[in-house]
Amino acid sequence: MKVEKDLFEIYKTPQLQSSSLIVGWQTRDIGKLGSKVIDFLNERLGGQEIAEIKPLGFFPFGGVRFKDDLVQIPESKFCACEKNNLLIFRSDEPEFEDYKFLNSILDFAEHHCQAKELYTLSGTISLIAHTHPRRILAVFNQPEFKESLQGYGLVEMTWEGPPAISSYLLWVAKRRGIAGVSLWPEIPFYLATREDPQAIKLTLSFLNRRFNLDLDLGGFDLEIRDQDEKIAQLRRENTEINNYISELESGFGLDEDEQLKLAEEVYELLGKGD
Amino acid sequence: MFVGWPGIGNIGITAMNTLKGILKAEELGEIESWDFFYPRKVSIRDGLLEDLDFPSNKFYYQRIEKKDLIFFIGEEQPTEGGRMYANGEKAYQMANIVLDVGLEFGCQRVYTSGACVSLVHHQIKPRVCSVISSEELIKELKKYQNTILISEIGGRGGGEGTITGLNGLLLAVAKKRGVEGICLMGEIPDWLSGASFPYPKAVRSVLEVFAEILEIGIDLSFLDKTERQIEEMIEGIYAKFPSEMKEEYDRRKFIPQTKPGTITIQAQIYIDERLIKGGDEGGERPI
Repeated sequence: MKVEKDLFEIYKTPQLQSSSLIVGWQTRDIGKLGSKVIDFLNERLGGQEIAEIKPLGFFPFGGVRFKDDLVQIPESKFCACEKNNLLIFRSDEPEFEDYKFLNSILDFAEHHCQAKELYTLSGTISLIAHTHPRRILAVFNQPEFKESLQGYGLVEMTWEGPPAISSYLLWVAKRRGIAGVSLWPEIPFYLATREDPQAIKLTLSFLNRRFNLDLDLGGFDLEIRDQDEKIAQLRRENTEINNYISELESGFGLDEDEQLKLAEEVYELLGKGD
Repeated sequence: MFVGWPGIGNIGITAMNTLKGILKAEELGEIESWDFFYPRKVSIRDGLLEDLDFPSNKFYYQRIEKKDLIFFIGEEQPTEGGRMYANGEKAYQMANIVLDVGLEFGCQRVYTSGACVSLVHHQIKPRVCSVISSEELIKELKKYQNTILISEIGGRGGGEGTITGLNGLLLAVAKKRGVEGICLMGEIPDWLSGASFPYPKAVRSVLEVFAEILEIGIDLSFLDKTERQIEEMIEGIYAKFPSEMKEEYDRRKFIPQTKPGTITIQAQIYIDERLIKGGDEGGERPI
């Protein structure tokens, strides 16, 4: 297959063989899982920026977004961790030409980096309490690949509904014969707009084991403890919030207003000192 | 070639789908959807991605009495920027692909269909308003019962307007490429144009004209039940019109709809509040 070169800005051709492609999205990034995992991998494994997909045609250019006073530009970057044979892609979700964009990711991964496997990372919102252990729900695009990842503690997902971009990418990979899995770590809904270090750590633990990365994930324990303590303090000070979380811990649900109240309080709490 | 996409009251697509079904047209091919649409649904079972569901865009074929017919039914119109009806480059591409296939099979004429939002009363049989690609087709159109040219509606700037979406765009592309085109639009009362339910009464009118064009008999009794159900729904809303508004609206039954006029703002607000609005814009609004 011919790779449309005009779509890419290529800085370097990496030495990768039968590599694995890890994809994280920074748009609608539940619990900041995708971006945090990708950033951690790149930092700890010495990921080098090797290419990007040019934004024209995939993103609107009628102005510029800003967030927290900062100009935001759409990014779609590939990094290579040659030692570990990993190709890491972090991107905004395209707004136009999704199919072409997703194929471009796989074109580059296959033809420049000999990628053979795909791993997508996205958090999934869950009605669990933050004190509850997280699980990683998983969707595979080939039964053989599913079989080969037995024993990693992944939980099989069953679902029907509008697809997220990760599912779309997984489907495109399937059509191209690339084995892939979408990892959907659970994120308590009230941590969805902040970070969930526990889900981030769990995801990294899976990747650590899968690719023998020898990563030290101890730093996350501190973050988890710190977040737990902040929420514990809030529970002590706010009976209503404590009741809501207790309900979740007991396996009960909350109504819409209760969910909203809890999400708002925790959002405020975890934003302090950022 | 008979082409249908969803639009106001789903008049065009229902008519085309029905015609295709009655003539037992067989599937001929399809336009791959992924270049035009984001998938609608993913099916995941026991950790395995089974499939993605895209809106379908299929061609069908049938031969009747020395006439070769191709149907194209598109479940969705390709859009850019979150609009309901087709616009932009993708829409133009799709219209051209549909026509490419038609021309591949020697297609000489394209029929599209949709809704004509007008000042008709819902208790009156909807007429079929037509827009054509050349004056030579006027004579033929005049032969068909209950069919008028869009300019004959009146109050619409002498027949000027826009047929939004692919039902209109395809006519433009066909004309540019030298293929005759006719758009047959079933009348729908203006106040029902944003409703979320279909308008089978206009579908019937359009199908009657297609039957004439194709010189075939079509048993439309299958539409009776749906038509009755929708009528009841519409009558239910109509019954609650304030008397002054009803009086004003009922004049439509007696005044030939060749004079300008419009529903009052108050009346429209009243209606909008009671109907689930459909899309964000008009569809085939020849105004």
